[in-house]
Amino acid sequence: MQFIKRVPALLIAVILLASTAVAATPGPLDQARATVDAVMAILQETHLEKQERRERLSATIRARFDFTEMSQRILALNWKNASDLQRERFVGLFSDLLERNYIGRIESYSDEKIDFVKERVQGNRAAVDTLIVTKSVEIPISYRMVQKGPEWMVYDVVIESVSFVNNYRSSYGEILKKDGFEGLLARMTEKLAELEQNGNPTEP
Amino acid sequence: MKKIFLLLSLFFLFSAIHGFAADEEFILEDDPFAVAETASMADPLESINRGVFWFNDKLYVYLFKPVARGLRVIPEPARISVSNFFSNLGTPVRVANNLLQFKLTRTSSELARLLVNSTFGLAGLFDPASSWGLDKKDEDLGQTIGHYGVGNGFYLVLPILGPSSLRDLIGRGGDSFVNPLPYALKQEEVVGLQLLETENALSLDKDTYDGIRENELDPYLFVRDAYAQHRAAKVKE
Repeated sequence: MQFIKRVPALLIAVILLASTAVAATPGPLDQARATVDAVMAILQETHLEKQERRERLSATIRARFDFTEMSQRILALNWKNASDLQRERFVGLFSDLLERNYIGRIESYSDEKIDFVKERVQGNRAAVDTLIVTKSVEIPISYRMVQKGPEWMVYDVVIESVSFVNNYRSSYGEILKKDGFEGLLARMTEKLAELEQNGNPTEP
Repeated sequence: MKKIFLLLSLFFLFSAIHGFAADEEFILEDDPFAVAETASMADPLESINRGVFWFNDKLYVYLFKPVARGLRVIPEPARISVSNFFSNLGTPVRVANNLLQFKLTRTSSELARLLVNSTFGLAGLFDPASSWGLDKKDEDLGQTIGHYGVGNGFYLVLPILGPSSLRDLIGRGGDSFVNPLPYALKQEEVVGLQLLETENALSLDKDTYDGIRENELDPYLFVRDAYAQHRAAKVKE
């Protein structure tokens, strides 16, 4: 009899569980891991043409990064004072620069192990702590993410306590002070052209 | 009742102040993980520092880097052992500075590492202690001085040695007294070993600096700000 009484409760529990399972989207750690796994998978595909590999890496990484949020944080007050067009140009140039800068460098980490240590979530913000374990060192890397709908998007990467955004905020801040917003955009355009021209000079 | 009123007004006062500050840092206000104040260093000697930075850059490109690339013919495990060996020799500095900051657990962890790695690790060539959960607890005198509230002073780029600050330069001088090498070897041998240590570390590194010098708009500023952030975090931990 005791058992019969409990059946409705049990049913409700089962239904609840099932519904949360359907509603639950993967958390920030799982989403970050999915992107890292996808990147590693592309790197392991040896038959890919260089150009195609670049494009696929780019698409995978761009889907997980929020370059607008990142740019806002880097420019801080300068973002507030910039025009819509300037903002748009900055986001475009900055993401292109990062892409050129880092996609080439990811390849040298293709056979390292990455541990996903833990996630910390507060409201719509999260920090996902990872550890790159190479044969000689362990490098702690933490991804800062913001929730946009079902997706958790990376807006800062903290490598050994050095925040990417903070680093660019101060170094770009100084260029902004000296050359103004247009000056910064001009230097970024110039740098990008130079990198395109040299192809990929970073050798392994 | 009065107390509640007082508390409430205090609360509003603080939130008003907060609102004011939030205007400056309008993007950070809702972010529990953001570092509110960016660590930066004063740089009154920027023009001299930039000169030394330029010199170091050329030294790196034309001398240190080619040598490091040459070292890569030696199998990686051997170079990792060399790096472990030097790291083990650095234990006195870490012990002294953990002790000076009264970080006793970390001090004993370093001593245990020294014991394990000098014996089972064959004079420090291997690092079995790390796999037993005893991680390196990095401390130096610059961090110790910072721990007691002394600021960086200002940014310095040292010839060959690279980024530093007034505080960290003084710390470096102090640390050299507990470095065992000068007591056992001639000065030129010590310098030779230090160069070997640097070259070996460069050979293991994945060309971090190459990426910075090629890709950043202003590598000097990028390195300076990274150094400032990195040291600030080291002092805090």
